[in-house]
Amino acid sequence: MIRLENVSLAFEDKVILDNISLSIKKGEIAVILGPSGAGKSSIIKIMVGLWQPDSGRVFIGNKDISKLSESEMLPLRRKMGIVFQGNALFDSLTVEENVSYFLKEHGSLKSSEINAKVSEILSFINLEGTEKICIDQLSGGMKKRVAIARALSFDPEIIFYDEPTTGLDPINAKSILDLIKRVSERGATSIAVTHILNDAVSIGDTLSVINDGTVVQTGTVQDMLASENKFVKDFFYVVYQDAALLKNKKFYK
Amino acid sequence: MASTITNFKKKIYTLQEYTFMLRELFLSLKYVNKCKRDAINEMYLVGSQAFLLVLLGGAFMGIILALETGHQLDLFGAKNLVGRTVSLGMVRELGPIITGLLLAARTGAKNASEIGAMQISEQIDALRAFGTNPVLKLVMPRTIAAMVMFLPLTAVADISGILSGMVVSKLSLHIDTSFFWHSAISALLMKDIFVGFAKPILFAFFIATISCFYGFQTRGGTSALGKNTINAVVVTSLIVLVLDLIFTKVVWELL
Ligand SMILES: Nc1ncnc2c1ncn2[C@@H]1O[C@H](COP(=O)(O)OP(=O)(O)OP(=O)(O)O)[C@@H](O)[C@H]1O
Ligand SMILES: [Mg+2]
Repeated sequence: MIRLENVSLAFEDKVILDNISLSIKKGEIAVILGPSGAGKSSIIKIMVGLWQPDSGRVFIGNKDISKLSESEMLPLRRKMGIVFQGNALFDSLTVEENVSYFLKEHGSLKSSEINAKVSEILSFINLEGTEKICIDQLSGGMKKRVAIARALSFDPEIIFYDEPTTGLDPINAKSILDLIKRVSERGATSIAVTHILNDAVSIGDTLSVINDGTVVQTGTVQDMLASENKFVKDFFYVVYQDAALLKNKKFYK
Repeated sequence: MASTITNFKKKIYTLQEYTFMLRELFLSLKYVNKCKRDAINEMYLVGSQAFLLVLLGGAFMGIILALETGHQLDLFGAKNLVGRTVSLGMVRELGPIITGLLLAARTGAKNASEIGAMQISEQIDALRAFGTNPVLKLVMPRTIAAMVMFLPLTAVADISGILSGMVVSKLSLHIDTSFFWHSAISALLMKDIFVGFAKPILFAFFIATISCFYGFQTRGGTSALGKNTINAVVVTSLIVLVLDLIFTKVVWELL
């Protein structure tokens, strides 16, 4: 569904992405895992065509988008939804206005159809009753849900999440992760980037660990745990630690 | 030396980005009726809310102009020319300049900080990612609003300047108001009015587009936002002065 081939990107002299190759299958939840500043957000921006790579190719389906102009990107953008790291909601507008914003912008839909769509989405993400609340009055977890709701407004085939649980408490984080799984069950291909190991393990069908703009390892959780790579071992160290802890304390039989 | 060259290169590059934005703006003219509602909103913000500011700005200019020239002309026994001087000065130069500078500060700061905040909170990326052209959505309505509203605002500054000049002339130079008014109006030629109202349209275009451009150029955090807002106000103010000079020198001679 999505394929990066030898993608590189630099800003001035600083290399951000160095020869990245990745492949994401239709319908799966792919997690890109890496520490802060590894280039996670940059990969997402390249995948949705907001940035063009300096070299390499980016395929969505069979189409190479790495050189497409803004207007050539348009039809593809209708198939993608993106949840930004900082949500990027329009903060002076209400929940309803945010979710319906792009439906109104591009829509061929009548306003009654837009309203129906918005309430369908809001009930899917368990936010009924918040339609008229202004974004700046919402909690972090709710904002994230609204951002997901907006991304769902065009029933995207592919949905991108940039650090969906960063800054949320464990309860809210878990409900966002559950939501991501439910969205995926609707049939969307999902790509999530995160630095939180727990999230990656709990939702990821496949993981790719990146560091300093390069892919260190890709595979399933088992592959990661079996990896001999030093960086992967360090990154997954807490998993071993937690496992040991749980065993000692006998939380589980 | 090397850093001067890189700096210069950066300037040229920025200028190039600005022309790309202008090109995008002209290309999206064909979708202009999509932003009717936004444009009307902006007109309200640019226009009605700046009314008092421009009224006061014009009034002070008129008073200063009347007093300064009045006392000098009085030395030559020519204080009857004050009306003429004030009206020509206001309509040709000071009205457009004071409106331009006040709005460069007000509209310039508003555009740059609003769009800059949208840029650093990824809202601009969100617009693009969901298939909305940010130039059409944000720059077009602001440019239209400025170009439409600057004309009446300049007229407000002109008239308030002439009227307040008339009042102080009466009070401190004892010039008859009806005489002042008559000489003020009869001094104005079509050419004066044309130049006086061509300027604000041009000012409006550059103030709106440059300040939006600085908003888009904001990268990083709050300090970048502050810096770019300052830059927007400084550059648009300078542009107003430079364009005014060009108009006074070149266009006036051509007409
Ligand atoms: N517009 C830009 N100009 C210059 N450098 C940039 C720009 N955007 C990002 N970078 C740099 O690129 C590197 C990767 O950034 P990116 O935002 O992709 O990282 P990330 O993995 O998403 O990190 P985080 O966890 O902080 O979100 C960082 O070192 C960052 O400083
Ligand atoms: Mg990031």
